[in-house]
Amino acid sequence: MRELPQKEANLFKQILKCYENKQYKKGFKGAEQILKKFPEHGETLALKGLFCNHLDKKEEAYEFVKKGLRHDLKSHICWHVFGLLYRSDKNYEEALKCYSQALKIDKENIQIMRDFSLLQIHTRNYEGLVDTRHQLLELRPQNRQYWIGLAIAYQMMGKPDSGVKVLTAYEETLKDIPTKPDYEHSEMLLYHNSLLEEMGDIQAAYDHLDAIEKHVCDLKAIREKRAQFLLALGRQQEAEAAYRTLISHNPDNFAYIDGLQKSLGLGNKSLTAEEEAIVVGMFQELQKEYPRSNAAKRLPLRYASGDSFASIADEYLRSMLRKGVPSLFVNLKTLYSDKTKEAVIEKLALGYLAALDKSKGFDHSGSIVEPPTALLWTLYFLAQHYDYKRESDTALGYINRAIEHTPTLVELHMTKGRILKHAGDFNSAMESLNEARELDLQDRFINSKCTKYMLRADKVAEAEKTVILFARADIADPLHDLVDMQAQWYLLEAGESHLRQGQIGKALKRFHQVEKHFAEFTEDQLDFHMYCLRKMTLRAYISLLKLEDQLRSHQSFVRAAQGAVKCYVSIFDQPDGVEPPEMEGMTEAEKKKFRSKQRKAELKAQKEAEEKKAQADQELTKKGGKVDEDPEGVKYTKAEDPLGEALKFLRPLQELAPERIETHLMGFEIYIRKNKFLLALKSLLKAIKIDAENATLHEQLVRFALAVKKAGSALSPAAKTVIDKHWNDLYKGQDLAAVGNSFLKKSEEQGSVPHLISAAIASSLIEPKNDKAEAILFLMADDKYKSTRSLESALVAQKTLRSMRSGRVSEFRAKAAEWFPKATVFQSV
Amino acid sequence: MTPPAIMSNNSTEDKPKNAAFRVGLGDITPNNLGQLKRLNTVLFPVVYTASFYKNVLDVGEFAKIIYFNDVCVGAVCCRTEVVEKSSAQNLYIATLGVLAPYRRLGLGSKMLKHIVDHAELSTTPSIAKIYLHVQEDNEEALEFYKKHGFEVTEKCENYYPQFDVKDAFKLEKIIS
Ligand SMILES: CC(C)(COP(=O)(O)OP(=O)(O)OC[C@H]1O[C@@H](n2cnc3c(N)ncnc32)[C@H](O)[C@@H]1OP(=O)(O)O)[C@@H](O)C(=O)NCCC(=O)NCCS
Repeated sequence: MRELPQKEANLFKQILKCYENKQYKKGFKGAEQILKKFPEHGETLALKGLFCNHLDKKEEAYEFVKKGLRHDLKSHICWHVFGLLYRSDKNYEEALKCYSQALKIDKENIQIMRDFSLLQIHTRNYEGLVDTRHQLLELRPQNRQYWIGLAIAYQMMGKPDSGVKVLTAYEETLKDIPTKPDYEHSEMLLYHNSLLEEMGDIQAAYDHLDAIEKHVCDLKAIREKRAQFLLALGRQQEAEAAYRTLISHNPDNFAYIDGLQKSLGLGNKSLTAEEEAIVVGMFQELQKEYPRSNAAKRLPLRYASGDSFASIADEYLRSMLRKGVPSLFVNLKTLYSDKTKEAVIEKLALGYLAALDKSKGFDHSGSIVEPPTALLWTLYFLAQHYDYKRESDTALGYINRAIEHTPTLVELHMTKGRILKHAGDFNSAMESLNEARELDLQDRFINSKCTKYMLRADKVAEAEKTVILFARADIADPLHDLVDMQAQWYLLEAGESHLRQGQIGKALKRFHQVEKHFAEFTEDQLDFHMYCLRKMTLRAYISLLKLEDQLRSHQSFVRAAQGAVKCYVSIFDQPDGVEPPEMEGMTEAEKKKFRSKQRKAELKAQKEAEEKKAQADQELTKKGGKVDEDPEGVKYTKAEDPLGEALKFLRPLQELAPERIETHLMGFEIYIRKNKFLLALKSLLKAIKIDAENATLHEQLVRFALAVKKAGSALSPAAKTVIDKHWNDLYKGQDLAAVGNSFLKKSEEQGSVPHLISAAIASSLIEPKNDKAEAILFLMADDKYKSTRSLESALVAQKTLRSMRSGRVSEFRAKAAEWFPKATVFQSV
Repeated sequence: MTPPAIMSNNSTEDKPKNAAFRVGLGDITPNNLGQLKRLNTVLFPVVYTASFYKNVLDVGEFAKIIYFNDVCVGAVCCRTEVVEKSSAQNLYIATLGVLAPYRRLGLGSKMLKHIVDHAELSTTPSIAKIYLHVQEDNEEALEFYKKHGFEVTEKCENYYPQFDVKDAFKLEKIIS
């Protein structure tokens, strides 16, 4: 029963219009009116469901749409509606199926096809996309969008040449090419050019630039591409001229200068003395031509060496210290990878300080009296320099002098905080940051930094109070607003603080919030598929698509994933919650008693907290905020398959960040616990390929061998064969004891603390007696380990001793307190 | 006669040249009040009250911060005082100071000039005189104010009972 009588048929058309115009209530009423007379009219039922969906009645929505479909399986409208419903729930797979059904019924329905292609690109189904867009183009060959849409589809599936053919064909259909540059046409031409480049036909791309230039608006793009292509084609002289022109437009663009260097044949990483002189000369010329260019002043420091470096650095430092450029150190520290450069800079800065102290100039010539701020910035620079070298006391000496000189300068207090943080005194670090904050209450940056330092000191409540100082006044729940605003830095720092404090549920809550942001970023694309084609912002659109495909390799996601994996692994290892340090060394009976005592205290605290929360919730609801039903994140700690949850965080990294060794080290931790020996093996092999010398890898190799041994016959023959086949890749034909010994020997040779720690852990696993492992850890007291003996590594070493139930923990703590006198963790209580 | 250009050249060789610097006055606001407090803590032995800092925000041009190369290095804070049977008021300089490394560069003068100029221009209220107290032994401040036309009018004994040097001079400058 598809056909409605005239009156209802008209009404039906009206409610379709209502949907397009987003008049959902009106549409809903109209649908009901039809259904009164024809309660089984499928398409009306389906539409009613769609209106329900928009009126926030999810369950009814599905009910009506499905009912409609049952009554009219042959209606494309019903299928289309079903697809829209799934799409709004982000169930793209089902939505795609519905659209495809709808298209089987109505082969030429443009609207459905467009919706279909949208989801195909969203889900990166490029094969299907090419098909759909072909059909669209055949139906509407006059429409530019469909031509370009098809070209994009080809490009994304890796066939830029087909994309070029489509665009060329389209351009041939154009009768009147706009005589004046027209933005959309121009963008299409530049997109065409980018496809030629992607094909690797640089000559064609270069020639194409000439052909399109008069129609293009973005002339900068043309100039940049031309220079780039000339260089790639080996036409050095022309490339040089092109880059010189670009530099004249922007003498601070590093890429232009880099291009110029390459066109002069000076682009190599290591330069001969002769080449070095030429490069430095090139920069001197640029400086003369563009005295205001910072790049021309800064870049020669990268290439110069020896005396030439010293004299350029001298001039550079003086001018920056005189001007007072707070970012000077940050600007220069990349040079420190070269130890001689670091030493030269140190010597220069110390020389300035002595001269300024004595005669108010950067040298003793007495020709110029520098402003008092020169001394200030020199002290500030030296403080940062020694902090970078982790000579905390020296650094503190300089920063304190600077603060005495000019106590009002915010940066000084921030740097003091950073030095203290590196020295391990997180509370004092936080106090310094708070002083900085109080000097300038309107600076959100300092406020955020201060919050971060509070979290580093695990003062979550204070951090919350501080961070919301910058919340909008009209927000009911400012802390949650940070989640909505995707303030990932805060969520990550908070999550990591909870993790340190053993509050696994709260930590996971934060890490999942970050994960959700990434899901939102992915979702946000949906709007752009249509918009960018309509507005013809093609090059930006393509770079968006490529970015989205790499999204989860971003540092923020990696951090969230690392945190979450640690949490889930600890839930798996300690289902009763993380053991507090007090429980160390207790017998099971003592632990039990301790736990029950703790639980009682917890219950009491919980009751109080609940009362408080109930009150706070009430207030929140009054203000229109949404109450958090699970502030402790219990739902995460109660996960049935914590390792499975961990895997969900790991998988994107395996796909997008396979070059990071941490990805595979994490993978091993999960798989070995799941007794997935082959996947654990795979992780190890990948890690070996990236860095066979990695410290943690050694410990994991030993654990793997022991686990395989323990599993024995439980291991399937097939798995056994594979493992046997790779055994030599892992252990180089040595038995475990030998593996351990040779690793230890190498660690000692290299003087590396992280490797010592790994060796100690491995040793304690190979022979479950402590003395050898302890002896290894205590090796780090030797002076030759000084440079790798970081605060973090000392902490890990201490934790390792603890988990071995070693009797030498306090002995170690005393030693560490000598190495890091400011670090609060090592101070005896 | 030697041409003037060469003369000035000669003189730069003899005397050290001061590198150029920038100076500017700025408003005191609730947000940078922390800087003013910092300055006063290091410059003056007196601990100022919350009401002092509240007043600072209300006196407009009679309280200022001074920047040297964009760094805050000094401040001046005054308050107006009602004079009996007169519509004019007196302006009292409660604090005026420059961080030690930045002295003798004209910053104190710039702030004081700003205060005097505004006192002269002020009509609501009009200012009769500017006055202040200086500890008896604070020679640099005495020199500084005398140079700017202030005169000692009174010695106030035991003006600072909490300090070792308890006596103070009262200095003033008549405006209108
Ligand atoms: C008093 C004070 C504000 C002067 O600031 P300043 O920026 O150094 O002053 P200026 O550079 O503008 O000096 C102007 C003139 O004052 C006189 N003067 C300033 N300091 C002097 C000193 N130590 N000895 C002699 N004369 C001095 C000089 O004549 C100077 O001119 P010159 O430098 O050309 O010789 C500063 O010394 C200070 O902050 N002191 C501590 C705070 C204080 O005592 N304040 C006064 C109480 S409210």
